[in-house]
Amino acid sequence: MLEARNLSKKYGNTDALQDLNLKVGQGEVYCLLGQNGAGKTTTINIFLGLISPSGGTALIDGVEAGRKGRTNHLIAYIPEVVQLYGNMSGLENLDFFSRLSGHKHSQQQLGSLLLKAGLKEEEHRKKLSFYSKGMRQKVGIAIALSKEAKVIFMDEPTSGLDPKATNEFTVICKELANENKTIFMATHDIFNAVNVGDKIGIMKEGRLIQSSDTTTINAHELQELYLKTI
Amino acid sequence: MMYRLLFRQFLRTQACQLGLLLGLFVGIASLFVGQQFLKKQDRIALEVEEKQQEHIERNIKYHGDDLGLLLYYLKFSIVNDQEPIAALSIGQKDLNPTVQSVNIMTLEGQRYDTDLVNPNKLLYGNLDLGFVIIYIFPLLIIAFTYNLRSEEEETGTWKMVSVMTRSNLKFLLSKLLVRFTPLAILMIVLFALAGWFLKIPFASQLFPFFVISFFYLLFWFSLSFWVVSLKLSSNFNSLLLLTTWLGLVVLIPSMVNSYVANRFPMPEAFTTIINQRDGYHTKWDIEKRGTVEEFYEDYPQLAHYGFPTEEGFTWHWYYAMQHLGDVESSEQSRLMVQKIEQRDAVSKELAWFIPSMHVQLIFNDIAGTSLNHHLRFLKYIKSFHEDIRLYFYPKVFEKLTAESIDWKRFEPFHFKGEKRSFDWSKTLLPLFIGIIVFIGLSAFGARQSFSEI
Repeated sequence: MLEARNLSKKYGNTDALQDLNLKVGQGEVYCLLGQNGAGKTTTINIFLGLISPSGGTALIDGVEAGRKGRTNHLIAYIPEVVQLYGNMSGLENLDFFSRLSGHKHSQQQLGSLLLKAGLKEEEHRKKLSFYSKGMRQKVGIAIALSKEAKVIFMDEPTSGLDPKATNEFTVICKELANENKTIFMATHDIFNAVNVGDKIGIMKEGRLIQSSDTTTINAHELQELYLKTI
Repeated sequence: MMYRLLFRQFLRTQACQLGLLLGLFVGIASLFVGQQFLKKQDRIALEVEEKQQEHIERNIKYHGDDLGLLLYYLKFSIVNDQEPIAALSIGQKDLNPTVQSVNIMTLEGQRYDTDLVNPNKLLYGNLDLGFVIIYIFPLLIIAFTYNLRSEEEETGTWKMVSVMTRSNLKFLLSKLLVRFTPLAILMIVLFALAGWFLKIPFASQLFPFFVISFFYLLFWFSLSFWVVSLKLSSNFNSLLLLTTWLGLVVLIPSMVNSYVANRFPMPEAFTTIINQRDGYHTKWDIEKRGTVEEFYEDYPQLAHYGFPTEEGFTWHWYYAMQHLGDVESSEQSRLMVQKIEQRDAVSKELAWFIPSMHVQLIFNDIAGTSLNHHLRFLKYIKSFHEDIRLYFYPKVFEKLTAESIDWKRFEPFHFKGEKRSFDWSKTLLPLFIGIIVFIGLSAFGARQSFSEI
């Protein structure tokens, strides 16, 4: 579903990404670990079509990413902090972004999506400016669901969430994977990565230096490997 | 529709609410200012109607047996009629007199006798609807659009939008339309109020005014969108747009005014009066015959009245002297009018490149408050003055009394102006070109700017 072929990105003389090669199958959860500046967000931004690669190719379902929005209908995105419109409610934001992606849902369907994402019904009509970070993440998930995207990119989605919210988020990610959604997640949370991921990659200075299957490694081993690698 | 949500989102912002309220408030205030102007002008015209006969009768009572003396005091009024549309673009109509009263003496000395105007008032001009459209609407457009894209980026929603939509450009154009619509509605409301409140005929006057305003609105939206397409920060956008506003609406028109005044200096404004006064006063010290001979050169049809034979003062001689005041300042007067016309023509040419100035001049043209309109009024006064002179000269020379004249015919005269022809292509072309240029620049910039963050 996702494939990076010799993907690289330069900012001036700085290599933000160098010869990245990876493949993620449909319904798989791929977690990318690495320090700040390792190239995780750059990788995601290239797949999202927000920046162009300096070299190589990023493919989504066999289509090159970023070419005039040709892959936009396939993807959704949940950033570290889901920034939406503060003067609209969660329901209105969901309605807005789903229409923006060309999907039209009834109010009932939108409510169901928010419930599925874990947002309680009484919160649906509150202005987003009153939402906590966790609640915003849930609206972000509902937006991704509303778009019926095949691939969901997540950039440090559990950063700053309390343990309960992180757990809820992990559960939702697993449900999405069960629904055959591909998830590509950049994270610092090793335990969550092992918990939710099928594959884990470790990046350093723009290079993918380690790639593992979570069936062959536990959280403790991964932590040791991570610390040794970086 | 996504537009419903975009509208809801925009209408909930304080900038939108305050901006629209301000626009409505200032717009309505401008209509009241226009109404007051119309009322004042109508009152003056009405008073002239009432006072003219009273003025004639009173003077006949004192000087009825000496027509020459009576005409020394009698003034005949010409009213520069205005249409209700003048309330929307007062221009310099409050400086230029609505009523000009002249006697049969030298014209140049009377032509520029006007009301006293508080000079402080000249500094800020009139808050008419034209002012609101030219000055205030661009500010509202700037306030509504300067952060069209940058706000999304600065608050972090742009990335989400870019992933969700297939076309960032289409999204931004939708946002632009959502900002355009309330302002267009505000403009329609103000024009509807103007039509109803000031009783302005729609098809012949209000419609052209509205169409130009609408194009002016489009011009500012296209300019703003070009700035948005540069992909700069909100601060920079607002600075750039406000600087452009200041330049286009205030600084450049002032510079043009200064340039035109320097290019066509008018010492004639002073020398006309000096020549006119000298032309008349020096005749007191020369032979009467020479003066009257000169007078007959201009009016050979009156030559059969001969030359005054009495010693000392005669009205025949006096009015000949007065006439020569005009004759001797006529070249200066002609040059002055020519230079005013040149100033107006050059201003109009330069205004092709300055939309605010172009729109202001067109507004004044439609409203009948333009410099050209005033010049036509001055020309009408000149011909009116000539007519009453030629009517009264024979009667003065025949030494008739007031009784021999039907004074009822001397009701105040009315200058209606000319039926103004409206050249749509010439009027809208500069704005249209401006709009096309900025749309082109925006499209060029957008190809790069909106494809990536």
